[in-house]
Amino acid sequence: MNTFTRFFPPAPGTHRPLLRRIADDVGLTVIVCVLIAVLITLVNGRTFELYDQMVYSLCVGLVGLVVLDGLRFTLLDDPARRRRWLVPCVVALVMMAPVAHLSGISLGSLMLGRPLPNFADYPNDHGEKGMVGLTFLAICAMALLILNRERVERIKLERTEAKARAETIERQALQAQLRLLQAQIEPHMLFNTLANLQGLIAIDPQQASQMLDHLIQYLRATLSATRAETTTLAQEFEAAEAYLGLMAVRMGARLAYRCILPAELRSARLPAMLLQPLVENAIIHGLEPKIEGGTVTVEASARAGLLEICVCDTGLGLDDTQTAAKGTGVGVTTTRERLQVLYGARAALTLIPAQPHGVLARLTLPLETA
Amino acid sequence: MSMTTPATVRALIAEDEPILAATLAATLRRLWPELEIAGTAPNGVAAVQQTLELQPDVLFLDIKMPGQTGLEAAQELAERWEGARPFPHIVFVTAYDDYAVQAFEQAAVDYVMKPVSDTRLARTVERLQALTLRDAPADDGLAQLVEQMRALLPAAAAPAERLTVIRAAVGNIIRMIPVQEVLYFQALDKYVNVASSDGDALIRLSLKDLLPQLDPDQFRQISRGAIVNMRHVTSASRDDAGKLTLHLRNRTDKLRVSPLFAHLFKQM
Repeated sequence: MNTFTRFFPPAPGTHRPLLRRIADDVGLTVIVCVLIAVLITLVNGRTFELYDQMVYSLCVGLVGLVVLDGLRFTLLDDPARRRRWLVPCVVALVMMAPVAHLSGISLGSLMLGRPLPNFADYPNDHGEKGMVGLTFLAICAMALLILNRERVERIKLERTEAKARAETIERQALQAQLRLLQAQIEPHMLFNTLANLQGLIAIDPQQASQMLDHLIQYLRATLSATRAETTTLAQEFEAAEAYLGLMAVRMGARLAYRCILPAELRSARLPAMLLQPLVENAIIHGLEPKIEGGTVTVEASARAGLLEICVCDTGLGLDDTQTAAKGTGVGVTTTRERLQVLYGARAALTLIPAQPHGVLARLTLPLETA
Repeated sequence: MSMTTPATVRALIAEDEPILAATLAATLRRLWPELEIAGTAPNGVAAVQQTLELQPDVLFLDIKMPGQTGLEAAQELAERWEGARPFPHIVFVTAYDDYAVQAFEQAAVDYVMKPVSDTRLARTVERLQALTLRDAPADDGLAQLVEQMRALLPAAAAPAERLTVIRAAVGNIIRMIPVQEVLYFQALDKYVNVASSDGDALIRLSLKDLLPQLDPDQFRQISRGAIVNMRHVTSASRDDAGKLTLHLRNRTDKLRVSPLFAHLFKQM
C-alpha cells in the first residue's frame, strides 16, 4: 500500500479513488472509440466492417489510454512534477500515436484472427497514415479532455474544502459565542435576588444565609460554564437546583420544584449550559408571569444510548401568539444551534404543550459516561 | 381593620415577590411611621382591584408582575378610576432593567430601584409627604399620571406591513373586510372584535400586534382595549364625571376614551 501510494501520489485535494478515476477514463475512451469507428465506417462506406472497426478502434484507444493514464498518474498528478513534465509528456503523447496505432491494430488483428499488419511497411499508404493521424488527433483530444476535467474537479474540490474549513472555524467561534451567550447572568435576576437578600437579612437571617448559598452556587456554575466546554449532569443539576432554590424564595408559595437525577447518570457528560436555559425559560416564560404560579419538574433518564432531559412546567404554556416567540426565541434557537454544531442530527430539543397546561421541553443527546 | 381618620395617609403595595413586599412595607414603616399600609397586591390584576377597592393615597407599583405589568395596571387605573378620593400618587418600583430608567426620568415619574436603598426611599417619602399634606386639587394625581404615562407609553412600534383586508372567521366562512370599512377594533379576552358597517367579526390577533399594521393617520388607539377609525367618528362628548365618549356614524355603539388619549379629541 505504501509503495503504491508513493508510486501513485494522490493528486492534492483529490479524494476520488484511483480505480474510480481509471474507470471514468475507460468509459470516456470507449465512447470516443465507438464514435471514431462509426465515423470511419461512414466515411469509407463499408458498413459490414463496423464490428472490425470497433475492435481495432477500441484496441488502439485502450492502448493510448494506458499510456496517457500511466503518464498522468506518475508524472502529472503532482503539481510540482507536472510543471517539469508537462511538455515532455505532450511530446511523448504525440510520439505515441503511431505506436498506439500499431500495437492497437496488432492486438485487434490477434483478437479477430486476422493477419498481423506488415511491420516492415508501416505505416503503408492504404489508409494507415491517415489512421495514425486520426489516432494522434484522438489522443490529443482525450488528453485535453481528461486533464481539463480533472483540473476543474480539483478546483471545485479545493473550493469546497476551503469553504468547509472556513465553516468549521466559524462554527467553533459560534459555539464559543453561543456558550457565552447562554451563560450570561440576567441583571434583572441578579438585582431582584439581591433585593430579596437585603430584605431577608433583616427578617430571617438564616434563610438569607441559605439564599446566599444558592446564589453563590448559581453564580459559580454560570461563570465556570463560560470557560468549560463540558460538565457532568450532577453539576448541571446542582446549578439548576440552585437557580430554582433562589426562585422559590423569591416567588414564595407560587413555585414548587422537583429535580430527579438517577444516581447512574450523575457522571454523564454533556455540554455546559445546555440545561440551565431550559429551566430559566420554564420560570421566566411559564411560571413567573402566571398569577397562580405552578411546578417545575426536571428529570433525566437514559434509554437506548441516549440521554433524555425533560423540563416540564405547569405555567402559561405555548399559546398561539407565544408559540412563534418561544419556538424560535433566543434561548431555544441558541440551544438548537449548539446541539446542531455539536451533534448534528443525533441530538434534538423539542417543545410541546404539557397536560393539562404548561410546556414540556425535551432534550435528547448521545449518552456519554466518563 | 382599624378605623382610619381622614388625615391618615394610606398606601398600597403591589409587588409579586412576598419578601420584597414585606421589606418595602417594613422600610416604609420605619421611614414614615404615620403611613398606613392598607394592603399588598401580589399581581397586576389584584393591584387594580385593590386600588379601586381601597382607594389608597399612595400606590407602590412593581413594574414586572404576573397578570399585567405595573405600567399596564396604571393605565387601567387611569381608565377606571371613579373614586370620590383623589387619584393615588404612584411610585413605580423597578429592578435593574425592567424598564429603561431614563424613560421614568423623562416622564418625571417617581420611581425607586430594587434593591431599594433607605436614602433613596427617604427622598420619595419626603416628596409624598409634601404631596399628601398639601390640599391637592381633586384629580391632580390623575392629570399628572396621564401626562407621565403618555411619555412612558412605548413609541409607536416600527411600522409593519399595512393591512388592506381583514380576514375574519364568522362561523365556517372567512369574511373579507376592507380595512377602510372597519369602524373600530375592540379587545375581547383573547380575540379582537372587528366592527364594520356589515356587522361584527372576531379575529385572533392582539391589539398590540394589530396597531402597527394600520395607517396611524386613520386608526388611533383610544384606550387599552380599542382602536377607532377616525373617519367614522362623528362626535366626542364628555359626561358629568369628565369621561369622554365617542359616537360613530350610522352606529349606536359608543366608545369610551381613556384619559391617556383624551387629548386626541380636544377642540381645535
